[in-house]
Amino acid sequence: MSLTVTNVTKTYRTSSGDVHALSDVSFSVKTGEFASIIGKSGSGKSTLLSLLGALDTPSSGEIDVDHQNITKLSERQQTHYRAHKIGFVFQHYNLIPNLTALENVMLALEFGGMPSRERRDRAVQLLESVGLDTDQQQRKPNRLSGGQQQRVSIARALANHPSLILADEPTGNLDSETGKKIFDLLHSLSRTEKTTILAVTHDLDIAGKTDRTFTLKDGKITTHK
Amino acid sequence: MNVISRGARNALRSPIRSGAIIIMLAISIGLIVAMLVARSSVNAKITELKANTATAITVSPAGIQGGMGSGNLLTNDQLKKIQTATHVASAYGSLTDQLGSSDTNLTSSLTLGSFGRRQMRFESSDSPSTPPMSSLGEGGQQFPRPAMTPHISVTGTTQPTTVTGAGGNALAVTLTSGATINGSSSDLVALVGTDLATKNSLSPGSTFTAYGKTITVKGIYKTKNTFTDSGIVMPLATVQTLAGETGVSMINVTADSSENVASLVTTLKSQLGSAADITSQQAQAQASVDSLKSISTLATTGVVDAAIAGAVIILLMMTIVVRERRREIGVIKAIGGTNFTVATQFVVEALTLTIISGIIGFALGVAVSGGITQALVSNQSATSSNTSSIPAQGGTTRLGRGFGAGGFSSRQVRSAIQSVTRSATPTVFASAIGITLLIAIIGSALPAWLISRVRPAEVLRTE
Repeated sequence: MSLTVTNVTKTYRTSSGDVHALSDVSFSVKTGEFASIIGKSGSGKSTLLSLLGALDTPSSGEIDVDHQNITKLSERQQTHYRAHKIGFVFQHYNLIPNLTALENVMLALEFGGMPSRERRDRAVQLLESVGLDTDQQQRKPNRLSGGQQQRVSIARALANHPSLILADEPTGNLDSETGKKIFDLLHSLSRTEKTTILAVTHDLDIAGKTDRTFTLKDGKITTHK
Repeated sequence: MNVISRGARNALRSPIRSGAIIIMLAISIGLIVAMLVARSSVNAKITELKANTATAITVSPAGIQGGMGSGNLLTNDQLKKIQTATHVASAYGSLTDQLGSSDTNLTSSLTLGSFGRRQMRFESSDSPSTPPMSSLGEGGQQFPRPAMTPHISVTGTTQPTTVTGAGGNALAVTLTSGATINGSSSDLVALVGTDLATKNSLSPGSTFTAYGKTITVKGIYKTKNTFTDSGIVMPLATVQTLAGETGVSMINVTADSSENVASLVTTLKSQLGSAADITSQQAQAQASVDSLKSISTLATTGVVDAAIAGAVIILLMMTIVVRERRREIGVIKAIGGTNFTVATQFVVEALTLTIISGIIGFALGVAVSGGITQALVSNQSATSSNTSSIPAQGGTTRLGRGFGAGGFSSRQVRSAIQSVTRSATPTVFASAIGITLLIAIIGSALPAWLISRVRPAEVLRTE
């Protein structure tokens, strides 16, 4: 999967005037790369992530994912794109609270169109691959630790073999040791699953270990390595 | 797990809140069921009243009212005209005569009181059945006046299953012994009222003398009316022959529906002109129908109000739920859930709560529907009794006078209203189920729209 962002701008209209969240952002990520975006709060990281995940549309510019311009997708196509091409990992995990870990992963598989009889086996396999045992798989999120919930979140993101995983501060809510384990897990999966990962992070140590790092400041890419 | 099972499970996600919602909704649905049952019961009674109670029309010879007045009998031709008129379900004539002590060997079972003596003070000596109270003999000699005795009423009818009582009401004849008679025959047979039979020791097979003929008793009847239980019922043709008359003193007409009574009365008045007085129960029975209609309207209002309350309960509850789960909705959309999928999940959640409430509400509604129906009817009946006061009319009769114009008493109006019984038909339950589902759909429509407004990007913004 190749990701190419060209001259993307996002402007929000507010009562106090226009707010330029992103200004003329351009970059690209190659297939299977683990890239990170760093920047201060309000620099436009989350806005960029929402545009890449087709959760929102840019004011101008193009975003090509696998040679498909996702800025031109209809609402229905956006939903299909999110279900099949994108995996989200959130800082606060965002698991459905009244579903078990297994059911949370099966939910993503349902939206990905997998036949119901195959979902359970695939979900078990995914949860085992992120290190959750059988007992933990049957627990609801409130009975799992932060690290375990993030593992479920990662398993859910991987469910439909996405081309791109977008991780929003995946270790931001975890202690440093657990955060390192989650980072290692993501890094490992990017290799084994050949999935491109783009993670937003504050942690410079983690950013330093990714294949590529982009720095966002005031809505603009200022540096990258 | 699919969207249906997720929605159903979500319905009980917050047990205390769901329990409270279910109780409120169950009461609302219970009220809907109870009001639908009450409405159905009252509508059934209205139909019954229209078909039966309000259809009676009494046609009497002109100038006869109760036990007073005089005039010519109605003819058989007039009877036939009535029988063939539009909207006439049935019509039959009767001829009422009274037997004095010189006409029969029977002794009346009635006691002649002061009112009876006053009524008989004008009896003339030319009457075959009622000697004058005093008369002068040849040469101015005054003869002693015979003692007055109450008359015995004789009704000739083609419908010996009923007898017209005081007030013109048709009273059902219940045989206590023997067999009925053929009202269309001209046989010398009779049914004798139980009081008269006891007074004269008559039983089926006994005979008595009237009009100079020997009449055979075929049966003894009871109507629970002292006046009619002291009388005799015979075939119409027999009485006409014995009394030397060819007409009838009263025609009982039944319209095919109470709705047609007014037009039928107009038709009959047009046909009979000044020869007859026509009275109907329409106005009085209409009061009863109107009372029931107001109950039906009240019940319908109750159904609508309860349905609105139920829909509002669901709507508010689901709106709160959607606002609470805004982030969750955003997450579902972010991982590929469509608006339809999410909305369906919430509609199923609302439906689940409604169905659980519906089951409890149906049981509750059926349990209280009888009481609510009676409470509505009793209340309306009390109102009716205060506004409807229609005295019954009637009195003693003589040949050519009939039993008099009938009245539909306020007691009968109340009785008709109060006899409404609970009627929980399949149609009522189908309506209740339909309304319940409508409540769920309306109640979840706004939340579904709110769901479609949730943008998945909000999930990241609120991080």
